[in-house]
Amino acid sequence: MKQIALLCLLCLALSASEYSVVISKKIMISAVTAQQIRDIFLMKRHSLGNQKVIPVNLLGQDISRITFENEILKMDRDHLNAYWIKQHFQGITPPITQSSYDSVKMFVQNVEGAIGYIPSSMVDNGVKVIHEF
Amino acid sequence: MYLRILSLYFVALTSSIYADSYEFGHGFNLYDQLTVGGYVSTELESNTRSDTFTIDDVAMMAYGNIGSNFSYLGELEAIGFYHKNVTDGDEGGSQKFHIERLYGDMWISDTFNLRFGKQITPIGYWNLEPINVLRDTTSNPLYSKLLFPKFLTGMDINGYLPQSSSTRYHLFGQTTHDMDEEYINIPNTHFYGVALEHELSFETSFGGSIGEFITLSSNERTRFVQGNMKYENGSLLITTEAIASKTEYQTAQTDYTLSGYLQSVYHISNEHAVVGRYEYYDDHHLDYTDHIGVLGYSYRPIYPVSIKGEYQWHSQENENRTLFSFSVLF
Repeated sequence: MKQIALLCLLCLALSASEYSVVISKKIMISAVTAQQIRDIFLMKRHSLGNQKVIPVNLLGQDISRITFENEILKMDRDHLNAYWIKQHFQGITPPITQSSYDSVKMFVQNVEGAIGYIPSSMVDNGVKVIHEF
Repeated sequence: MYLRILSLYFVALTSSIYADSYEFGHGFNLYDQLTVGGYVSTELESNTRSDTFTIDDVAMMAYGNIGSNFSYLGELEAIGFYHKNVTDGDEGGSQKFHIERLYGDMWISDTFNLRFGKQITPIGYWNLEPINVLRDTTSNPLYSKLLFPKFLTGMDINGYLPQSSSTRYHLFGQTTHDMDEEYINIPNTHFYGVALEHELSFETSFGGSIGEFITLSSNERTRFVQGNMKYENGSLLITTEAIASKTEYQTAQTDYTLSGYLQSVYHISNEHAVVGRYEYYDDHHLDYTDHIGVLGYSYRPIYPVSIKGEYQWHSQENENRTLFSFSVLF
């Protein structure tokens, strides 16, 4: 019986989402779709409901960023690079970046409308989860 | 005047002490309020009459955000910067810079954004990415050059349709002279239109537009209806656009022009791609019809550097040609 319970816990742990898309707790939005997040991080949309949002990305090529790009943006690094080069011609720059998960989290907590992603294990009362992947 | 702007541009460009780390093809981000960049392209053409070399586009651009709801973009371009006819030795060119784009964007909401100034006409796909380095072929289809004004000096209200997550609209109009009339394919003081673009899935989108314009030189009114569709899945990109226009001629009866293209790009790898395109152009008024087949090859050692070659077959006699180009976006 104990072994079955442990197995169930292990399955739950493996199926849990690794990363969370988070915004400030002050914002009255509870959940958004992957497409909405994609549009925001591709700078196609700039708001969620009536709230203007500021996407914040993680600097560099961390595994979480690659996972985010593959699962949410649905683009690999080369396609994304081509996309931003085309956007440069349109006068659009990529989202701002922060150098660590801690600074992403702090930015989201302190800047109204900021939206970023962090490991789910870092989520606490300071931020609100609106999507998991 | 333009020389002064050019000098300021290069001062800004070389002020990289303030810039974030530079990524080729992404522009120099000096401040949030200022990113600068530009592009250049050269072209080699061999047809039945002559062989020519052209430094076709030399352009520089600057853009940025001013506050959270306002942004701007300015672009100056010299087209036909240098031209040499290799067959007869003639050379020339124009180093005069023209205003290609100069506009502001005021964001009110995702359903209501206001763009005002000189801008690219928001019709279809090809017209929105008109520069050599972003294209997959050196040549442009006739569809994109002859049938509607490529630029608009006026207002474009645009955004997502209310309650829609995947349909964008544009409502645009021009009632004045073009900001730089030497630099537009169809000078006019009257141009209105509506465009819609729907994202069916991540891979597929389609759209269309209707509009009318009155040419400045002949005072002839043209109305058009246009449609476009795109499918992109990994290594394959298929794009098609078509337009039908009706012109009320001053000295002849009203007549139609039909044009369109279907282009397929297959990416062998990130660097290499083969391109095939079929074009159709039929101007009833001029009694001119052409079927054009294009087979091309594109090599991008890195994405913002493009080396392309193509051969064009025309149903019109003596129009076949070979084109090569090298272009860079920085």
